[in-house]
Amino acid sequence: MGLIKILGKILEKKVPVQNVKTQPVKKINKSNQISIGAIKQALDGVEDVQYKPVRTSEGLVTLIYYASFVDPVVLHERVVKPILQRQETVIHASEKMEDHELNRVINLITTGHTIIYLHKPALFYAIETFSAKNRPIQRTETESSVIGPQDSFTESLNMNLSLIKRRITNAELKNKDYIIGAETNTKISVLYLEHLVNKDDLACVKKKIEEIDYAGFLDIAVLKQLMEDHPISPFPQYNMTVRPDMAMHYLLDGRIVVLMDNSQSVVICPTTFFELFVPTEDYYNRWTTVTLLRALRFFGFFVTIILTPTYISALTYHPELLPFELLLNLQESRDRVPFPPVIEVLFIELIIEILREAGSRMPTKIGSTIGIVGGIVIGTAAVEAGLISNILVVLVAVSALLSFLPSNFLMSNTSRFIRYAFILSAGTFGMYGQVIALAWLFIHLLNLTSLGKPYLAPVIPRKWTDLLDSIIRFPMRFLRYKKGISALKNKRVSPLDEE
Amino acid sequence: MDNNKLKKLKPYHVIFLVQNSMVALGLLSLPNELSSMGYSQWWIPLMLGIIANLTLIPIIWLFQRYPQDNLFTLNEKLIGKFLGKILNTFLVVYLIFFIASIVEGYLDLIKIIALPDRTIAGPLVVFFIVLLYIVHGGIKSIARFCILSFFLTIWMAYFLQWSILEGDIRHLMPVSNFTFHEFLVASRNGYFAICGYELIMTYFPYIINQKKAFKHASIGIWITITLYFSVTVVSVMYFTEWQLEEVIYPILKLYKAVELSYAERIDVLGISLWVLLILSSTAAYLWVAKKGMDALRSNNKTYHLYVIAICIFVFVMIPLSKDFQEAFYDNLFYIKFSIILWPNILIFLHLIKSKRKQASA
Repeated sequence: MGLIKILGKILEKKVPVQNVKTQPVKKINKSNQISIGAIKQALDGVEDVQYKPVRTSEGLVTLIYYASFVDPVVLHERVVKPILQRQETVIHASEKMEDHELNRVINLITTGHTIIYLHKPALFYAIETFSAKNRPIQRTETESSVIGPQDSFTESLNMNLSLIKRRITNAELKNKDYIIGAETNTKISVLYLEHLVNKDDLACVKKKIEEIDYAGFLDIAVLKQLMEDHPISPFPQYNMTVRPDMAMHYLLDGRIVVLMDNSQSVVICPTTFFELFVPTEDYYNRWTTVTLLRALRFFGFFVTIILTPTYISALTYHPELLPFELLLNLQESRDRVPFPPVIEVLFIELIIEILREAGSRMPTKIGSTIGIVGGIVIGTAAVEAGLISNILVVLVAVSALLSFLPSNFLMSNTSRFIRYAFILSAGTFGMYGQVIALAWLFIHLLNLTSLGKPYLAPVIPRKWTDLLDSIIRFPMRFLRYKKGISALKNKRVSPLDEE
Repeated sequence: MDNNKLKKLKPYHVIFLVQNSMVALGLLSLPNELSSMGYSQWWIPLMLGIIANLTLIPIIWLFQRYPQDNLFTLNEKLIGKFLGKILNTFLVVYLIFFIASIVEGYLDLIKIIALPDRTIAGPLVVFFIVLLYIVHGGIKSIARFCILSFFLTIWMAYFLQWSILEGDIRHLMPVSNFTFHEFLVASRNGYFAICGYELIMTYFPYIINQKKAFKHASIGIWITITLYFSVTVVSVMYFTEWQLEEVIYPILKLYKAVELSYAERIDVLGISLWVLLILSSTAAYLWVAKKGMDALRSNNKTYHLYVIAICIFVFVMIPLSKDFQEAFYDNLFYIKFSIILWPNILIFLHLIKSKRKQASA
């Protein structure tokens, strides 16, 4: 609606609230001349900076570095030991700093380099010594799969790049790096296969990244939200994963993958609604199994948002909809419940939500106990106390389980949010309200875009070959076409036309 | 999305826009409207389809000569600015009344079947919110919604199965048991359900492949006609002649014949799902009315949409006597039919104009 679009525009404009462009090194003298005094002044108050004097055969040398970034063993092996033996070897391996490059020197120190200061003649050299500990590659906890590779991304950008690049050993795999975030100077990398990617998409991603003006990035999820076409929509418009094989799968289809330092997930854009339900395990299983599972996931999404609302509208407005035996059954289980169905449903849905949220915040050891307690309270005690009917418990449990079927966690969160809208509309207008809400949902999905491409693409296909890899996943030999959403435009030129 | 491009309707968009703007409230009462013909009514939809297809020819022919114009701008071009504006004002007012008639008819049904003991104010407000949301996305958004609502409702045709089983196929004979007057009454009433394809006069400039627009629009018309035809045949089989005359919404009665183990009365579900069809056709009409307002004021403004929506809303909420309403809405038919025939006059004017141009050149 118009109001929403206007709101969206306001929000879009309000995004760079924190666009205070602070220079990282502001206090230093204006001349930008390097001297040991100027460095000390700039790094005043930084306690972990080290000034380590080393006396070599050729004179005094001072090493300047962050103790938190540089492992003493690495420093000794790479700098101190060679410098004591032959000073030139280290000088050759490092980069000479020009006289006016004080800002750069400070930047290098804050990113883990060591500055070698020769007292006579007063010269500065920088050498890469970043050796802070990284988390090793581990199994993924959030997107686990039975078949397929078990490794997952870590928080190190270089390690993540290596995880993808070792899978696609091809010089066509390009990456463009950016430094974003005025305060954090976070490094991000845009990864794509040069000959497959849609050039318009790439230009669009690059433009969006260059336009972003934000102070600090906690995780790539923040960047993803800033890059989305429709910031108010409840739906995630780009895919996010911690699995290298998923990133690789979409790279091979011509999508763009964005990685960020200190962030475990990577963002895949553009994406479609349907792809948010599909884990890569679908390509490792037999096609029959996958077809069954995909149907479950996709239709499960719609069942989870209309199951409990239908209970409300059937009991509140349209009891004639139900067969007599079922109605009797429902009324019998509800005869001690003093609330109208909508209150009853909201009550138990909120309890489930609380349990889920509490379980995810709590330490694991307490969490399992609470899970059992919560299960007993909801399953038995609430029914016996006459607060809710036991048929509703079954429905709510089923819809809660169904909401976790999509492979993308943000999508399952969305399905739970939308369910409340449906519950309220069913509570006010019954079946009519439900269909109106459904119409709203569909028109919203139809109008959503991901990087300017229609979000609901495979349902209303851009290319007929998309249907080979939709709810029915055809056997692998049929899946050799690029998806419509990533297809290059005007690519197919027959040789006869060029003559 | 692609708001800047003028040409944006692909062939399947055209097919379903034509198809879905035809199906609205008319289908629910079609067998009853045709009931003056008794059992011989079942082939009437085929005849109406042929008429619709024939009246489509001048429309497409004319607009292919003016590929950038819609009905409103063409009116101003061919019959002069002043007269054109008067005519367009009249058309916009008519569209407002017509949309109001659809919305009011549907919400009355909802009130009777799904939400008894409730006023229609609440359902009307949510209906308008969704309607405006659809129209706000432009004609392509409406076309997409048409496709979606077609596939979300077409499966209900399966429910006809029970009525076929219980019906009697011998009702289809004799084919020609009617007088000429009965025939005229039936075709007049039935044509109301067929209307809607003439909206192509407004979204024609947006069609990508204008040369094949006639073919696509005809496909859309005949999808609808197939639906209507199957519904009338099944109704003739299922009902007696007396029932056809007395039952106002025979389709809802057909739903009641459905026997499922998990649901007792499907008609509530059916009438609720019908809102998708109502939404898609009123969205198309509302968009056309907005275009008319744009042409009147000679600029494109989003608030025109809201102005029209408010007018419709107010008109629906005004308490009028049922008799007056029925007579009023009934007479809208003549305007509707003259709009369908209007392009013929425009063609005449076009020919005069081009002749004069040739003479002066």
